[in-house]
Amino acid sequence: MNCAEFQRVLAEIIDGGGSAEQESHLESCSTCSSLVSDLKAISGQARALQASEEPSPRVWQAIDRTLQQWQSDLDYIAEQARTLQATEEPSPRVWNSLEIALRQEGLIRQPQRARSVVSFFERWRMAWLVPVAATLLVAGVILSQRGDQGGTQIAVRPQSPPSQSTSTNDDQQVLEAVASRTPAARDTYAANLRNVNAYIHDAEQSVQADPNDEEAQQYLMSAYEQKAMIYDMALDRSLP
Amino acid sequence: MTDANKARGDGLSEAEAIERAKQGDAEAFEALYNLHKRRVYSLCLRMTANSAEAEDLTQEAFLQLFRKIGTFRGESAFSTWLHRMSVNVVLMRLRKKGLPVVPLEDTLETEDEAPKKELGAPDPALAGSVDRLQLQRAIEALPPGYRSIFVLHDVEGYEHNEIAELVGCSIGNSKSQLHKARMKLRELLKTSRAEKAAKP
Repeated sequence: MNCAEFQRVLAEIIDGGGSAEQESHLESCSTCSSLVSDLKAISGQARALQASEEPSPRVWQAIDRTLQQWQSDLDYIAEQARTLQATEEPSPRVWNSLEIALRQEGLIRQPQRARSVVSFFERWRMAWLVPVAATLLVAGVILSQRGDQGGTQIAVRPQSPPSQSTSTNDDQQVLEAVASRTPAARDTYAANLRNVNAYIHDAEQSVQADPNDEEAQQYLMSAYEQKAMIYDMALDRSLP
Repeated sequence: MTDANKARGDGLSEAEAIERAKQGDAEAFEALYNLHKRRVYSLCLRMTANSAEAEDLTQEAFLQLFRKIGTFRGESAFSTWLHRMSVNVVLMRLRKKGLPVVPLEDTLETEDEAPKKELGAPDPALAGSVDRLQLQRAIEALPPGYRSIFVLHDVEGYEHNEIAELVGCSIGNSKSQLHKARMKLRELLKTSRAEKAAKP
């Protein structure tokens, strides 16, 4: 083996040792021997450089500042997040649907009809679905009242709510639709409709007694909303 | 208790410091920093040969550690995990700067960078005369591609298969470049010694 051949496999010899032939060349060649011993010295001394340097205190100071900034950001986010707690009001539709479903399941009893119209209708403040009939009724009553107050006698009869017979017919159609699909639910819907019709009747009387009573107007609209919802539920057009 | 098991200063074990750091405990972060800062900084300094950049990279490596410490599952030693993360931070920086992280293939090597063959008359051996400072300076003078491989293998103790994975080259290429880096270092050290000897 000559020097050129030896040096072609030098890397393996440094890291793993050589064959007998290579060892023999090493013993007889001072050039290659010197080379091997230098490379081993370099490699051996290199390990002493591991973890040999101390960073400046500036490094930790910069890290610490950044960590404090992160913490401050996280605290701010947490604080903002807490302000979101219990800030949202679900639509009354959520409870309406839930209540009707619970009644149908028999999990809650029919409520005793509250004589306090206020307490009942507070749950039905919905602006999204105002029955036209209620609006017409209220408008009619108000016009009639104004007519009475002015000198001109305009024969404006208070707009009647959907007549009892029309309402009854509609209710019957809805109940028949329910009965055709889920006969067991018909009685529940019938009871719900009776209740809501009774509330509508009470509210109408309140509005007619005092057409300027905004609260009574609101109750009346809410009563119609509730009825519309019962129709929706009955006809499987419940809201998503 | 050794440094590996005991975080300096506040009596926390490394394992305790890790768990507390995962919960965002600032003192635990500092304990981990104190325990590992020398190794990380030295790695950054050897790889970049620039103390300002090494400080910046050390900071970046530890911030990355603190961001990711929640993902440490103890499947390897913490120091191994941290060190590998630090190597990646350094390599990423070198790549961004356009410095060759992957060692040059033989065909792409410039004549200036390639170590000379050693087939002539024997020189006085370096063995026994290489001190740490001389070696440190010679490493700084290495071309970046050689320097990465040499530092990762001979200083930090990575195996060729690990280096190949880290820098994205073949194992054979890593071996070949390591040998060339050592040969280049020998040349640099000899030149340095000759210059020193020539001074009056």
